[in-house]
Amino acid sequence: MAGQQGAEDLFDSILFADERFRGEGYQEGFQRGTQRGLHNGWRHGASHGAKLSSEISFYYGFAISWKCLLERQSDDRSRKRLKALEALLNLTQKFPLDDPQSVKLQEDTEKLRAKFRQVCSMLNVPTDFKDYIRTAEGTSF
Amino acid sequence: MSWVKAASFNGEDVFDENADDLYLQSKEWASNMKKRIKDGYVDGVNAGEEASLQMGFNMGFREGAAQTVAVGRLRGIVSAVWCWCQIQHPEKPAPSHLIDLLQQVTQHEEGIIDGIRKTLENPPPSVSDVSESMEDLEVKPAGCEETDCCRSEQKMDLDGSHNQQNLRCESSCAASGSAEGLDLLVQRCMDLASELELPQELINRIEELRNM
Repeated sequence: MAGQQGAEDLFDSILFADERFRGEGYQEGFQRGTQRGLHNGWRHGASHGAKLSSEISFYYGFAISWKCLLERQSDDRSRKRLKALEALLNLTQKFPLDDPQSVKLQEDTEKLRAKFRQVCSMLNVPTDFKDYIRTAEGTSF
Repeated sequence: MSWVKAASFNGEDVFDENADDLYLQSKEWASNMKKRIKDGYVDGVNAGEEASLQMGFNMGFREGAAQTVAVGRLRGIVSAVWCWCQIQHPEKPAPSHLIDLLQQVTQHEEGIIDGIRKTLENPPPSVSDVSESMEDLEVKPAGCEETDCCRSEQKMDLDGSHNQQNLRCESSCAASGSAEGLDLLVQRCMDLASELELPQELINRIEELRNM
């Protein structure tokens, strides 16, 4: 009986060797793949995050400055401009920069860009003023 | 005589054939199992990468985003001041040191983003590279397959962690280098704002960027 048991074990070990070896390889590969996934994901994420954050932060800096500059004035036009600036600031502060998987990311980016264009037109600032500065200086980046 | 030779030769041959048979069988078994390990390894790499890619992306996104907040805000502030000067005094060009500052801030920001992007130009070995290196293993003369696998795995692991260390170092070095440069630009912006007699509230906002 013991012999039969042993023979069965041997038979099983041959039968399952395929799976066992495959499983060993899989475990090692999975670890390596996880490491690589984290690494590749990190680098792509960092690049996207830096660019998007740069844009959103730019809008924030732009809006907060104009708010400070216009707050001294109390005419109707300035109040309207301030209201639009507040809305732009609000959008930048609510922006889900800490949640790259947010379903609102794309939508919020579009909203923010549209609001920025609106604010620029209210301030009589050309939206492409950045290009203007560059051509004015004759420097190409 | 020759038939004796032939017979004994045949005898040896038969014996050798048996040995060869066993040898071939065990070799075939070893090569099959090696193939199983390799198949499992490739599947494991793909599954592991797929499972962790999003997590890595999220982590990198937050880290990358944090690196450009201060410089992005500063660029927005300097741009707004530039626009303000253009509107207040359309007859004269903006002060040259304002234009210069805006360019420096823009360059500084591009430097940070380029630094992050540069790490994309030296990607670690891809899945196909791993398959190739696994094939290299098979070409090697017979030896302990497990040891070979372990050895190559360790080597690849080392390479991987080495890359990651480089990446960490590069990003932290870039961050520390940029922090110093940014402080200077923030100071220049504050000096400029006082010179242009801009509201104190705005100067306070600029100063805030130092502690970010």
